Order: sequence, then structure tokens, then C-alpha cells
Amino acid sequence: MSILKIEGIHKSFSGVEVLRDINLEVEKGEIHAIVGENGAGKSTLMKIISGEYEPTAGKIFVKSEEKRFSSPLDAIQDGISLIHQEFSLVPQLTVCENIYLGKEPTKNVFFFKIVNHIKMVEDSRSVLSNLEASHINTQSKIKDLSVADKQLVEIAKALSFNSEILIMDEPTAALTLKETDTLFAILKRLKENGVTILFISHRLEEIFEIADRVTVLRNGEHITTKNISDVSMEEIVRMMVGRSMKNRFPPKVDHKVGAVVLKVEGTTSEPHFRNVSFELRKGEILGIAGLVGCGNSQLGESLFGLKDMEGKMYLDSVEIKIKEPTDAITHRIFLVPEDRHTLGLILQRDVKENHSLPNLDFLSRFGFIKRRKEKKSVMATVEYLNTKITSINQRVENLSGGNQQKVVLGKWLARSPKILILDEPTRGIDVGSKYEIYKFIYDQAFKGISIIIISSEMEEVINLSDRILVMSEGRITGELSPSEATQERILALAVKRKED
Amino acid sequence: MRKYIVLVALLVGLTIFSLALTVGFCVSTLNNPFFVSFTNGAKAEAQTLGVELIVLNAQNSNNTQYNQVEDLIQRKVDAIILNPTDTDALIPAVKDANKAGIPVITLDRSVNGGKVAVFIASDNVAGGRMAAEYIVKVLKGKGEIVLLRGIPGASATRERTKGFMDFISKHPGIKIVADQTANFDMAQGLSVTESILVAHPQIDAIFAENDSMALGAIRAIKSSGRKGIIVVGFDGIPQGIQAVKDGDEALDVAQQPYKMGALGVSAAYFVTQGLNFAPSHLAMPLFPLTKNNVDQWTKSSH
Amino acid sequence: MEKMDSSFVRKYGVILGLVGIIAFFAFESPKYFFTFSNFMLISKQSSINALLAIGQMFVILTAGIDLSVGSMIGLSGAIAAGTIVATGNVLIGILAGLGIGAGLGAVNGIIVSLAKVPAFITTLATMSAIAGITLIYTNGQPIWDLPHSFMYFGQGYLLGIPFPVIVMTIVFAVAWIILALSRYGRHVYAVGGNIRASRAAGIKINSVLISVYTISGFLAALAGIVLASRLGTAEPTAGRGYELDSIAAVVLGGTSLFGGEGWIVGTLVGAYIIGILNNGMTIMNISPYYQEVVKGLVILLAVMLTSFGKKYWNE
Repeated sequence: MSILKIEGIHKSFSGVEVLRDINLEVEKGEIHAIVGENGAGKSTLMKIISGEYEPTAGKIFVKSEEKRFSSPLDAIQDGISLIHQEFSLVPQLTVCENIYLGKEPTKNVFFFKIVNHIKMVEDSRSVLSNLEASHINTQSKIKDLSVADKQLVEIAKALSFNSEILIMDEPTAALTLKETDTLFAILKRLKENGVTILFISHRLEEIFEIADRVTVLRNGEHITTKNISDVSMEEIVRMMVGRSMKNRFPPKVDHKVGAVVLKVEGTTSEPHFRNVSFELRKGEILGIAGLVGCGNSQLGESLFGLKDMEGKMYLDSVEIKIKEPTDAITHRIFLVPEDRHTLGLILQRDVKENHSLPNLDFLSRFGFIKRRKEKKSVMATVEYLNTKITSINQRVENLSGGNQQKVVLGKWLARSPKILILDEPTRGIDVGSKYEIYKFIYDQAFKGISIIIISSEMEEVINLSDRILVMSEGRITGELSPSEATQERILALAVKRKED
Repeated sequence: MRKYIVLVALLVGLTIFSLALTVGFCVSTLNNPFFVSFTNGAKAEAQTLGVELIVLNAQNSNNTQYNQVEDLIQRKVDAIILNPTDTDALIPAVKDANKAGIPVITLDRSVNGGKVAVFIASDNVAGGRMAAEYIVKVLKGKGEIVLLRGIPGASATRERTKGFMDFISKHPGIKIVADQTANFDMAQGLSVTESILVAHPQIDAIFAENDSMALGAIRAIKSSGRKGIIVVGFDGIPQGIQAVKDGDEALDVAQQPYKMGALGVSAAYFVTQGLNFAPSHLAMPLFPLTKNNVDQWTKSSH
Repeated sequence: MEKMDSSFVRKYGVILGLVGIIAFFAFESPKYFFTFSNFMLISKQSSINALLAIGQMFVILTAGIDLSVGSMIGLSGAIAAGTIVATGNVLIGILAGLGIGAGLGAVNGIIVSLAKVPAFITTLATMSAIAGITLIYTNGQPIWDLPHSFMYFGQGYLLGIPFPVIVMTIVFAVAWIILALSRYGRHVYAVGGNIRASRAAGIKINSVLISVYTISGFLAALAGIVLASRLGTAEPTAGRGYELDSIAAVVLGGTSLFGGEGWIVGTLVGAYIIGILNNGMTIMNISPYYQEVVKGLVILLAVMLTSFGKKYWNE
């Protein structure tokens, strides 16, 4: 008997159908992966199952009993908890206060009901130790915890409701490899205890590592549900994108690597990185790999003037000073940041305005925007990047991650870049968009633009780069050519500790 | 009025014997020309009497004023003249002064507790009545009028409205066609009157419970081009007096803040000399200012 | 989907509200309320709040707030009047008033952007300080006896239209053009929408922030001069509390207090709604006690409708 069954689910927003006739059965105690490109409807489906949205049509059965959830609380009471990408924890409260938020154990003192703090702490401890997360102090404030620990608290919170179905939306997106391993160990143990897990991820390798079955969604439709042992990664990718995609990476484009364009000497920005020196050549794709927190991301931001740093930079052998992003922009050095929501986009503005924001200097005359020229420029970029939008007046917050990323990339294209710094360019992006972004990177390199790719996805760095630098604890620990680079070698350099 | 003249005579006589006295003067706010004039009167009188006057402005904060009174008690002043920010909130302050043996004189507003040696204030109820009497007389008991009230709930608003309404209600020929507030504010007096004029093609008189609102009403009437509307104001601020001179304001029920402040200081002086006031409430007379007597008034007051 | 999203409701909901309120008063008082001359009167009465609200909107678009505009009215009116009395020159007086407004606005902006003090605290402090400076400057006394040429600004007519309404219309048109069509306008929206992303796009954040507070101060000063001219007097306490009406107008107009979103037509409509409520309720001689309640409820209702609409369209 399936623990969760959904029948004929439809969902429309303002008349636009985003889910069409979804049927799905989930067995008790399985880890069930849900995959699909961004915009395929995964998150919407999960939100329906967890009571955040009500379906336009269709039925939900939990243990063969039909349910109607009008709020997440209803779903929680029926044993279904959703763990968001953005956690729903209160940063200022402690771990145990968060776990028992809204259901604090109480005791009566005279006529007053007060929180039984001792019981709350003890219960929190036992929940956390069940997760083998006893290292988390129940009295710590959430804001002081690492991302991985926050996630464990979130899981503990769900388990404290006696949830039988856990829905996890991209749980590994912000985790290091080691943390991911720990999380998977925990998920496997939960599964042995009969907990059912619905798991959304873009990282297909992970799915093969942990899932029992996989469901593929595309354009709001249910494509298939299969045992993981019965499919290959290529098949999944093909079903996701709806076309055959033998390779996740486009064929290499021959591009000439020329003279040194950028020379960075002894740059330091405590506590993120110190004494980093490297060179970047014309038309070169330089990968800077490392684990999350190794300082490569801060290096990128500092080169663009977002963070202060000491040290020297030479552009075409001339020393330059970059104190602010405006300086970098003047030298045609551009950053596509890791976190597009906080650094890349104005979410409540439209595609056109986001595209032209840094380019208004040449898109306007006497302070007024040349609207026709602006429109032309934006349309050209949108077409070149194959950004899927309904119109250039669409708000970017309504775009999928991949298309948002294309808007961020596109901003700089009109300024004919000299150096592009791409920080985690494909994070949280569907396979199809990833492929297009890789093609874009090759195309830019072919045009003689120098590219720095900062990434924790080793496969990406290995496949794309002409040369790879590996960072660990804020230092460059090694340089590899693509022919000698393997995941193992990069990892060895990435975990290298200080010798002294 | 007579009491006042007696006081002034006494005061002049005693000036020669004056000792170096220190008197605290706590004013509720200096945001308002009334209290500025009031403070200036007190300062001038203090100079005449050779009294050292410590002027403290509470900026309409009860708490600030309480602290200021406490400071004055610490300084062991000889008397405290209090223009309270609130009738109830300052009771403890007055009680503390009583305990320290420092006499308290209240001006314009009193406090509802503690022992107050003298309380000096304009008779607002009588002033409201004065305005009503004038309007009834000029309109010969028949006409449509507008009432512009002050800040709702303020004591001046309550008392002036009471005096006015008590008299008007006895004259059924007078109809109040609009009864609105303009919060003692000139800009609101202007815009409220503008709107009222739109709604009422026939208006004979407007009573504004202070001069600022009356001045606003006059602006509205002028820009509408309407003629023959009698405007009655209250307070006697310089601009109001000017409007009376210009014939724009028919009557101004004038207070005498300058004299009130001066009287407060001289009362303090006498109290410290051991004089007892009975009754302890002095009503500052209000003066019905019209075009006929305005020049005389300007000469006699400051 | 795009045509029907939250911004649509935000944008046009307020106009529906305006039509509703006008319909109500027109039905209740067709003879007096629904006339051309009363429309002009309402425009004149709303012009001061509209000027403030337009300035306030620039600030709110950057996710800030300017509480000092009310005090600025008093000071700029006083400085203008005082200068006119001292020099006998109306033009110099007006320029002095506008200058002090823009200057103090810039001070607000500098404190917010360079010293990074939250806008609410900064302008709360300058609100109090400016009110104090006005009292010191005027010694608490109104400045009157101003020349007739100065009165034209607030009391005069041009082609049958009250001069303050003309000032408001010009300011509104210029602000609309700036916000909708200029590079600077884009920067204002961008900084309010996401300050970090704007910096990363090469926008000089500090200049944008300083300029919006300068604009707000300048327009408050303009409003202060119009008010002083309208009254023929510079009252030392003029403008107290006006900051709240200006914020209400901006919010009624659908501008997000979190910045980055807003339509200037909405702001003007918001100012008119407040003006119409005051005018209409006075014409109907509704008790002033109830007027306050009605005004509060209408603002609340309007904002609730906007956010309800937003939720509805999003689901």
C-alpha cells in the first residue's frame, strides 16, 4: 500500500497551467527523487503535497484516505513536512526553541502555563542524537550555525512532529561534499526507520547515490516514474529536457589562448584568502576550484571591487586599482555572482531594466534613456542567450533560475567584456540551461574574452577549463592542466591543509 | 480687574525693598506666540523686581516638566511658577515642591492636586460667551454661523465651546450650519473654511476659537470673494490685532499673556513675602477687541 | 499572467478607490461637491501634500523614509519669509527657502548613506532638530506682513487655475518623466530594489541616496513656501505632522515601503484621496471626531485591498 497517492493534480496560476494531470504513488520507506528542469513544476507539486498551495483539481490520499490540505499545518498533522531551500527557522532563537516552535511543552505553575524548558531541551537532545547530530548545542542560536547544521535542525523539527513523509527541496545545494555525505547517511537511516523521503535535486549523481525511485517532470507533466536501477543518467537527462542529450557538456570549441591579460600579485583579504597570485591570458578559461568556504568566491568578489583587498593587479601590464565595482566595470572586468538574488538581480524589476541597468551610460542621452535603442540591445542579448521570457517587461522574480542567470550574464554582454568572472555559474540551474551556459562560455572564449570560472562542481571545472587552480583555506594549493585534472586530484589539493 | 490694579500698586511700592529672589518659571512650550509673549512678560517683570528668573521650557512633555520642577527644588528656588503641561501629570511635582516648602503658582492651567498658592488664568468660558453675545447682537438674533473648534479635548477648546454654546443655544434664530475642528492651526483653518464655504452659499458669521484659525478663515473668505461674513477670533495675538485693525476680524476676544506672565512673577514675589491670596484663583480678564478700541489697546499693552 | 500580477493591482487599485470615493461624495452632495470649482479647490488643498508626497516617494522608492519633511515646511517657510522681510526681495527669499530645504535634505542623505544610520532614525532626529531651529530662528513668533508679490505664489491664479496647482502639476510632470524615462530614475528604482546588486552594477549608491533626500527636502521647502504664501504668514509650527499624510499618500498610491516599486500617478492619486476625504467630509459636516476615524479606516482598507489583491493574483 502506498503511503501517499496523488491523482489527477492540476494547478493554475492566474489562468496559466503549471501542473497538468499529475499522478504519483509513493511507497512507505522509500527515497523518491523528483527531477526536472527549472520550471518543470517540481516545487509547485511539493508545495501542493505539503499544503502550501491548494490544487486547482485532483485528489491527495495519505494512507488511502483522501485529504484536503488548506495550510501547511494540515499537512504536518497528517505527517508531511516540507524542508525548504530557504529554511523556515527563526535565526534569533535557539535550536531547541526552533524545534519546538509553536508546540512548546508546557507545565502548570499556579494558574499559569509556562514553557517547560528542561523538557524542551531534553527532547531536542534526543531528537538530535537520533539524527547523530549531538554535536549541535540545543542552546546555540540558529544564526550561529553552519548551513549543514541548520538543515539538521530543520530535519529535527520535522521529526519532532512525527513526520512520516519528509519533502526536501535541493537539500544539498549549499552543502560541502562531506556535509552531503553526512546528510545522506542520515537520510538512509531515516529510511530504515520507515520515514519516506521526497527528494528534489539538480545533481543527478546524488540521485543515483541515494534514491530508490525517480520521477521525471517536464513542463508541468509527469513523464515517468522508474526504479533508479532501471535507468541511466543519460535517459533521465533526455526525459528531463525532452530531447536526446548525449553529453551534458557541449563539444569543446577551439579557441586561441593569447598573451597575459590580467596579472594578480599577492592579493590578500583576511580572513578569506591570502597571498594569491595568478595570471590570466587572453581567451583563456581559467577554473578556480575548491570546496565551499575555500575563499575562491571572495577572491572573485574582491577582483570585481565588491570587497576590499590588498595586493597588486595588472591589466595588460598596467597596474590598476579596483576599489569599487565601477572601477572594474571601467576596465571591462565583470562578475556574475554566486548569489544572483542578492548581488545579481533586482527581483521586482523587469527583464529589460535588469539587462540595461549597468549599460544606461551608453543607452541614454542627456540623462534620458533611448528606449528604442535599449529595447534593441536587450532583445539582441535575450536572443543570443536564448533566454525564455514572455516579454522583456516580465519581472525577473517570475523567471526560472536558468533564465534569471542568463539575465545576469546578459547584463555584461552589451559592454564587450574583457574579463568575465563567473562565480558558480550553474548553481541551481536545470540541465538544459546549464548546457546553454557552457556553450556561451566557449563562445566568449572563442571571441577572445578571458574567463574565470569559480566553481565547486569539479566536473564543470574539469570539462570547461584550459587551466585549473585549486584553492584551500584561502591559498592556491596547486595548478592542473585539464589533461592531468581528475576529480580525485582536485579534491586532494582542495583538502590540503597548511603545511606549517 | 480691581485686584489686579491693587497688586500693581503694591508691587511698585515693594520694589524698593526687594531682596535677591530666585524664581523658577516652567513654561509648557514656546512653540506658540501666546507662551512666548507670556514668558516675555514674566521676564520683564522679573527684571523690574530684581528677581532672578530661571525659565525652563518643557516642550509639551510631562516628564520633562516633572524633571525640571525636581531640578528647581534641588536648587532651592524661592518659588516656582508652573504653566503645567497637564492638569494631572504634574500633581506629584507640585506635592514635592510643597514638601520642600516652596510655593507654587500656576499659570493658564492649574493642577488637580497638591497645594497651589495662586492660580492665574484667563476665563475661557466667559470669553466664549463674549464671542456669542457679540455675534447674536450683530446678527440681531438671526443668521447662519460656523464654529471652528480648537484641538478636540483640550481644555481651552472645551471651555470656549461651552461658553459659546451655552449662550447661542438660547437663541434659536442662530443656526450653526457647520461645526468643525481646525486644531488651532492656521493652515487647517484655511482649508476647512474653504470647504465649508463651498457647501454653504449663505454664511453670516464664523467663530474661530483662536486667532490662527480665524486668520485662516479670513484668507479663505478673501480668496472666495465672499463678502459680509463676520469673523470672531480669540487670543489677541499681534496678527489677530492687525486683522482687527484692517477690519478683517470683527471681534478678537483678547487674552493678556504678557500681563499674565508679569502677574505670575509678582504673585510669586508676594507669596514669598508671606502674603496669602484668598481666593487663590485669579481670573485674567479677557478683552473684547474691536476696530473701535484697538488703537487704545495697542498703546496700553505690549 | 503578467498583465494580472500584483503590480497590476498595485497600480490600478488606487484609481478604483479614487473613483469610488468621488462617486460616494458626488452622490451624497451633488450640488456642492461635484463641481468644477470644488475640484479646483481640492487640487489647491491637495497640492501641498502632493508636493511632499512626490519627494517622499523618491525616498521610499530607495527603501528609505523621510520624517523630516513636516518640520522642513516650517523652516523653509520661515527662512523664506524672514529673508523677504530682511532683504525686501521675494526671489532671494524663495531661493533661500528652497536652498535650506535642499541643503538639509542633502544632510539627511549624507547621514543615511555615508554614516549608514537607518533613515527612520536619521530623519526622526532631524525632524526634531529642524523644528527646534525654526523656533530659534523665529523666536516662536509667526512672520507676517509679507509683500503682496509673495502671496501670488500661493494665492494667485494663472489662466483661472490656482498657482499652487500649476506648481504641483509641473513638479508631478517632471518627476514622472524622471522616474519613467531617465537613467537617474532607473537608478532610484534599482537601489531601492536591491542595493547590493545595484552597487555590483556600477551604480554610485551614495549619490543616489543623497540625491533622493535632497529632492525630498527641496520639494518640502517648495511646499513650505507655497503654504506660507497661501497663508500670508510663516508659522513656526507650520507643517507639523504633514510627514504622515505624505507617507499615507505614497503608500495609498501603491508604492512598496520596501522600495523598488511604485508608480507616481498612484502617489498623486493618493494625495487626492486624502484631500477629497477632508473636503468631502467637511462639506457634509461630518463630526471631526468621526472624520479622523474614517480617514484611518480608508487608508487601512485601501492598503489591505492592495495586499489582498496581491495575494489573490499570486495564488
